[in-house]
Amino acid sequence: MPLAFATEKLPKGIMKLDGRNAPPLILKNMDDETFNLAKHRGHWVFVHFWASWCGPCRREMPLIQAISTKVDHKKLEIVVINTAESEDNVFSFISGVAPDLNPLMDTDGLVTERWQPRGLPASFFVDPKGKLQYLALGGRHWDEPAYFKFLTQLQNTKLTP
Amino acid sequence: MNNMLKTISHLSLTGFISLTILFSPLYAAEKKPDKYRFEDTEAFMRLVIRTPEQLIAFYEGRQFKREAINKILHTCFITPIVKNKKFDVMWLELDNWEFRDPHNRSIKRIKRSYWKKQWQAVKLSQAHQSTFGWTLMPEVRDLRQDEGVGGSIAIPWQNIPFTLIARFKTGADKKGPEKIIRFHGVVCKKDNSTD
Repeated sequence: MPLAFATEKLPKGIMKLDGRNAPPLILKNMDDETFNLAKHRGHWVFVHFWASWCGPCRREMPLIQAISTKVDHKKLEIVVINTAESEDNVFSFISGVAPDLNPLMDTDGLVTERWQPRGLPASFFVDPKGKLQYLALGGRHWDEPAYFKFLTQLQNTKLTP
Repeated sequence: MNNMLKTISHLSLTGFISLTILFSPLYAAEKKPDKYRFEDTEAFMRLVIRTPEQLIAFYEGRQFKREAINKILHTCFITPIVKNKKFDVMWLELDNWEFRDPHNRSIKRIKRSYWKKQWQAVKLSQAHQSTFGWTLMPEVRDLRQDEGVGGSIAIPWQNIPFTLIARFKTGADKKGPEKIIRFHGVVCKKDNSTD
């Protein structure tokens, strides 16, 4: 049952992936709540990897918080994952740039290594069947129309028989 | 002292922006002539070289243990930032890069396997090993058009200027014209360096 992808012409910096299964992703957030990607089928998941020492991450995070208020979370869920930093570092960073986001903590960095982003930051788009469909390279300007259109198209993508 | 280092760390954060990273094209606005900067219609490349003080500030700011920082300080850290402006694919393959001293002798790049051994020796935490790994330049990357990459490369400390020759194969099949970018007179920066 393949998916129909609405987006043929991709915005700059968005790469089509080969649709392989997303690697496992089971992590806790700063409130000690566990997120398991395998339990989030049926809608798209935006999986974003970042670290506080990375400048583009600093610029991109407020934009991710902004889009998180605009997308339909039942259709496109946004998950941000900190790579290998302490809670203190993460808290002091996130409270300054995107206080409404509650990052998952990849405390030893091993989940990030398994996902193999092309550097930090990086955002994967996991389709409703748990397949990796797109990768956003580096810091993207998610507030620009082309990206918001892309996100809108994704969340409106229908399953086809 | 710690507070001072933290302040330095925050100040140097901007400078470290490009360490591992797929970066935004903001740097393109910089027009200042610079021997560590190359740009033509096909590619952009810039070298950022950290002083020991900057390296200490960055890694202390990330709570790296002193023994690990000392290992880093024994080497010379160069942070290239590369962007493919034209080719469908431009191949970053560090094994195709050359570092040469003034006598045209090869300077061997310090590879990831070296660091792995150092971190085992000082029992560096997995989290810090991971962070360090993400600050290194990837060994191989098929840079798509408009894609950039940055990260650190370590070589043994050099007291005299050296040359970096960065060779990039191009095209998805690597059969396109080779792109070669040379930087002459590169120096390992000391804390008081003005270069």
